[in-house]
Amino acid sequence: MISLSASNSQNSTHATHGLAVSIQNVGLTYTTSIDNRPTLKARLKSLGRGKKHTRVVNALNQVTLDVHYGTVLGVIGSNGAGKSSLMRVISGIVPPSQGRVEVHGSVSTLLALGVGFNPSMTGRANVYLGGLAAGMSRAEIDQQFEAIAEFSELGEAIDAPMRTYSSGMYARLAFSVAATVQPDILIVDEALSTGDAHFKEKSLNRIKELRTADRALILVSHAMATIEDVCNEVAWLHKGKLMARGNPAEVIKQYREFTNTGKSSAANEDV
Amino acid sequence: MSAPVVVYEPFRAGLPPLGAYLRSLWARRSFIAEFSRSELREQNYGSVFGQLWLVLNPLLLSGVYFLLIYIIGGQSDSTRYGHLTASLFLFYLVSNSLTGGVKSITAGQRLILNTAFPRIMLPISAMVIALFKFVPTLAVFFVMRTVLGLDYSWQMFWAIPVVLIALLMGLGMAILISCINVYFRDIASFLPYMTRSLLYLSPILYQASDLSDKLKSFEIVNPIFYLLDAWSQVMVYAQAPDLFSLLHSLIWALAIFIIGTYFFLSRERDFAVRL
Repeated sequence: MISLSASNSQNSTHATHGLAVSIQNVGLTYTTSIDNRPTLKARLKSLGRGKKHTRVVNALNQVTLDVHYGTVLGVIGSNGAGKSSLMRVISGIVPPSQGRVEVHGSVSTLLALGVGFNPSMTGRANVYLGGLAAGMSRAEIDQQFEAIAEFSELGEAIDAPMRTYSSGMYARLAFSVAATVQPDILIVDEALSTGDAHFKEKSLNRIKELRTADRALILVSHAMATIEDVCNEVAWLHKGKLMARGNPAEVIKQYREFTNTGKSSAANEDV
Repeated sequence: MSAPVVVYEPFRAGLPPLGAYLRSLWARRSFIAEFSRSELREQNYGSVFGQLWLVLNPLLLSGVYFLLIYIIGGQSDSTRYGHLTASLFLFYLVSNSLTGGVKSITAGQRLILNTAFPRIMLPISAMVIALFKFVPTLAVFFVMRTVLGLDYSWQMFWAIPVVLIALLMGLGMAILISCINVYFRDIASFLPYMTRSLLYLSPILYQASDLSDKLKSFEIVNPIFYLLDAWSQVMVYAQAPDLFSLLHSLIWALAIFIIGTYFFLSRERDFAVRL
């Protein structure tokens, strides 16, 4: 196994168990339009009456959570529980509606694979594009390029335009680029289930390599087996509220009882 | 703890800390360059001539407009053709910033929803793309004006401040319109008519001196009228531009840039929820 390691430009040493992220009473509300058919006519009609055709969605509600360095926090919950919203708030993409988030250190997000990629360009050009989008410098990418290409197992295809790639090849390259960034705090949102069984295994191992005492990892996943395997702490969100946090096995058990899924194979399958 | 602490609090309309903002923008300069280059490549992807279109486009453009003034105006002297070409190329620098900028935020949705970065990077790269397209047209123009037998002089170095003003203007317009488009998507559909009107209201198909004084006084509200006039004085007649033209365009460019940037920066943290 080759190892990927980027020299971290902000290589500040953190006291082990120092605070990495502090989420204090955070709430997030979206306002969405509930017009079934957002037509001009409907718009004009509602204008005069001063009636607002909007619905307020509470994505997060009074969430308080501290993440320390050295922690691998797994975040679980059903669809629409607010997991991705919480990740977006922590990474500064969406400002919270209430409360306060403090982040001590550099954050890198892996919320979706292949962000910043341009399908018309070659795999090689996209390594640079994706790496720069993730905040690496050109020199760092130069240094890491061979390792990235090797990890993606693309071979000659690295110099072909990405629109000729299969979706698995695309995802493999995207993960390889993202896994090279070495921030203080890494947030991964369901981006691990890429490629075939072999590559899944490989990317999971890569995440395990990233577990060090001076780094905090936050992992969002529906794959309970992965969460139990990798994380040393789990937070369970339900409809925007923090239901429980703590020991992985216990929280997952509570979550399973709550959703009645039991230890079905379907929930374990994906990494 | 030596690590920087970042605090995220509820959104209020207001400027972010400018120093930190500029630093993180500067740190991403190579991403802006790479991003713009790949966008530019994509536009000609799969065509036979590929990047040659960067030169072919301006050549064909000036050819078509030459036909227009030759048939309608019945004139074909070399100065007039030089004026048309030079003005058209600078006009396209500004109008490409506008058309590239208008959807830069809404089209960058994936990037915006998944990465934290200074959002102003997207309209900046729209301006950079317009600049990449402008540079080959300059080369085309210099070949053309040599063939046409126009004079050269040291005064032509005035082109540098004029281009800088045009870039500031293009940047300001791209920033402003990309931000407006987040809240009012219809602006993208109005834009082609706006740039077309701007084309006819500016001294491109005619010369600034052709206009009556009365009409000219209305052109004060056209941000690029005197910019193009100054450009033509420098590039075609090889003269220093008059001070009024320079000042007029500089003031407009600064005003658009400052208003656009203020509007953008104070709103940009709200973009992610609006997309």
